[in-house]
Amino acid sequence: MTFTERALKILKYNRLTAIGAGIVLLVILVGVFAPVIAPYDPNVIDVPHRLGAPALKHLFGTDEMGRDIFTRVLYGCRISVSVGIAIVCVSAFFGILFGSISGYAGGKVDNVIMSISDMVLSFPSMVLALALTASLGLGLFNTMLAVSIVKIPVYVRLVRGQVLSLKQRQYVKAARTFGAPPFWIIWKHIIPNSLTPIMVQMTLGLGDAILMAASMSFIGLGAQPPTPEWGAMVNSARAYAIDQWWYAAFPGLSILVTVVGFNLLGDGIRDILDPKSKQG
Amino acid sequence: MTLPLLRLENVDKVFVKKTMMGKKSYIHAVRGITLDIQRGEALGIVGESGCGKSTLASLIIRLETLTRGKIILDGTDVTSLKEKDLRPLRRFVQIVFQDPYSSLSPRMTVEEILTEPLKIMTKLSKAEMHAKVTALLELVGMNASCLDRYPHEFSGGQRQRISIARALTTEPEILILDEPTSALDVSVQAQVLNLLNDLRQKLHLTYIFISHNLAVVKYISDRTAVMYAGQIVELGPSEKIMLEPLHPYTRELIAALPAVGKKLKPLTKAADMTENVAQERGCPYQNRCPLVDLRCKSERPPLAQFEPGHFLACWGVTKS
Repeated sequence: MTFTERALKILKYNRLTAIGAGIVLLVILVGVFAPVIAPYDPNVIDVPHRLGAPALKHLFGTDEMGRDIFTRVLYGCRISVSVGIAIVCVSAFFGILFGSISGYAGGKVDNVIMSISDMVLSFPSMVLALALTASLGLGLFNTMLAVSIVKIPVYVRLVRGQVLSLKQRQYVKAARTFGAPPFWIIWKHIIPNSLTPIMVQMTLGLGDAILMAASMSFIGLGAQPPTPEWGAMVNSARAYAIDQWWYAAFPGLSILVTVVGFNLLGDGIRDILDPKSKQG
Repeated sequence: MTLPLLRLENVDKVFVKKTMMGKKSYIHAVRGITLDIQRGEALGIVGESGCGKSTLASLIIRLETLTRGKIILDGTDVTSLKEKDLRPLRRFVQIVFQDPYSSLSPRMTVEEILTEPLKIMTKLSKAEMHAKVTALLELVGMNASCLDRYPHEFSGGQRQRISIARALTTEPEILILDEPTSALDVSVQAQVLNLLNDLRQKLHLTYIFISHNLAVVKYISDRTAVMYAGQIVELGPSEKIMLEPLHPYTRELIAALPAVGKKLKPLTKAADMTENVAQERGCPYQNRCPLVDLRCKSERPPLAQFEPGHFLACWGVTKS
C-alpha cells in the first residue's frame, strides 16, 4: 500500500484522526484567511459597545474595549499556529542535530549532550520556560525561543535512540565500508530512516507547543496586548470571567479545540506511517 | 612465492564489556589468526555460530579495529591507518552481508543504492554513473528497469544480487561474502552461488567466503579454513578438508552434514564464547574432543603444517 492509500484508509475508518485532520485543516485555513473572513479590524476600539454579549452582530461578543472577540479569535489562529509550528521546527532542528551527533559520536560527547538534555528534561518544562523567558525578557519571540529550548531534549532523546539502532543496520555498515564520512551517513541514511517517529513527535508536539505558548501569554510573559493571542485574551478576560463568560470562553475553547485537533492528527499520522500498527 | 594480496598476522580481537558493577568482562572473539590470501583465490571460512568468523570479516573490512596483530593489504600495512588514509584503500575490499533485508536502505531506490559508493569514492558524472550501474545490474542478472524501484519490491535473492552489484561498483579486488546465501531458499542459493562463481572468473576477484555450511563453502572455495572459538584449527585445500578431515572438530562438522537417507547425529554441545573465556589455557576444543589428553589441557596447539598446504592445530592427530 502506498502512503496515500494508507492515509485515505485511516481517514476513512478512524474517525478521530479524520476529526483531528479536519480541525487542523480548519485552523490553518482560518489562520491564513483571517483578514478575509473576519468581519472587523481586530484592534479597532468601540467603547460604547464594550463587553457586549454574543449576538448576530458580534458572534462571540465584545471585550472591555469593544473589540470584536470573533475577529480576535480568528486572528489568534494565525498567531498560535505559526508560533506552534515555529517552536516545533526550531526544537526538532536542534534536536536532530544534537541527537545525531550524540548517537553517532558516542563516548564523551554523548555523555555531555545527554547529561544536559536529562537535566533539562528533569525540570518541569513550564517552570524552566518561565525562568528562561524571565531572563530573556518579555515578548512573544522570547517566549517562543524559551519553549523551543525546553522542547529540544525530547527530540535529542528520540533521534539518539534512532541513531543507535540504525547504526547497527547493515546498510549503514555497508556505507561505512565504502568510506562514507559520518555526516553522509547521518544525512543519507539515519535522518531519512528516522523521519517517521520525528514527524509523529512533531505533530504531537505542536499541540503541546501551542498550549505552552498560550500559557506563557496567559501569565503575561508572552504576547503583549493588544496582540490578539488566545492565552493573552484569556488573561485579560480574568476580571470579567463571572459576568462576561464569553470573553474567556471563546479564546479558551479555541486553544482546547486546536490542541485536541493536533493531538488526534498526531496519533493518526503515527498509524499511517507505521504500517505495522493497527489500522482500526 | 608471490606476495599475498592480503595477509593477516596474529590478528586478535577482544571485546570489552563493562558490567553493572564496573567490572570488565572480556570476550576473545578472534585470537591469533595468521592467514595469507593469494590473488585470485577463493578462501572459505567455516565454523559454527559464534566462532568469530563474522568478527574476522568486520576486522578485515575495518568495521572493527583489531586489538592486536597486523593486516597487510597488497604490501601496505593498513592496521594503523586512520579512517581518512584508509578511505582510498576501502574500494579494494568490499563485503556482501548475510541479511538481504537489512543491507539495503528501505528509503533509497536501487539506483541510489548502487550509485552511493560511486558518489563517495569517485567523481564520475551522472551519465557515467548511470551507465556503470546499468551494466552492473546486467552483470548480476537483473535489468535496468529495476533502477527506480525500492528494495521492498524485490525477493531475497534479487536483493542479494543488488547487494553484490553494490559491492562491485568500486571494482574491488577482494570480495568478502559473509554468509551471502544462508538467508535464501535452497534453489535461490544455487543461483546466487553460480552467479558468484561466474563473477569471480569474469572479474578475476579474490573471495573470502564465510559460511557455516561446508557444502556451500566447498562449492565456492579453493581453500578452506575451519574456525573454532576464534582460532583456525584446520586450513587446507577444500577437497582435502571435505574428504580427509584431520581435526576432530572438522570431522564432527562433516559428520553433521545432512544427506539423503542419513540419520543425523547432533553435534555435541555447542561452544559459546562465554564458555571459552574460562578456557584460556590449552586447546579450545578440549571439552568436546574425543582425542583429548593432558597436553591439550595445558598447552594451546599452534597451527602447523601437517602436509604440504594442509595446516592443523591439534596435538592428538599425528602422522601415521
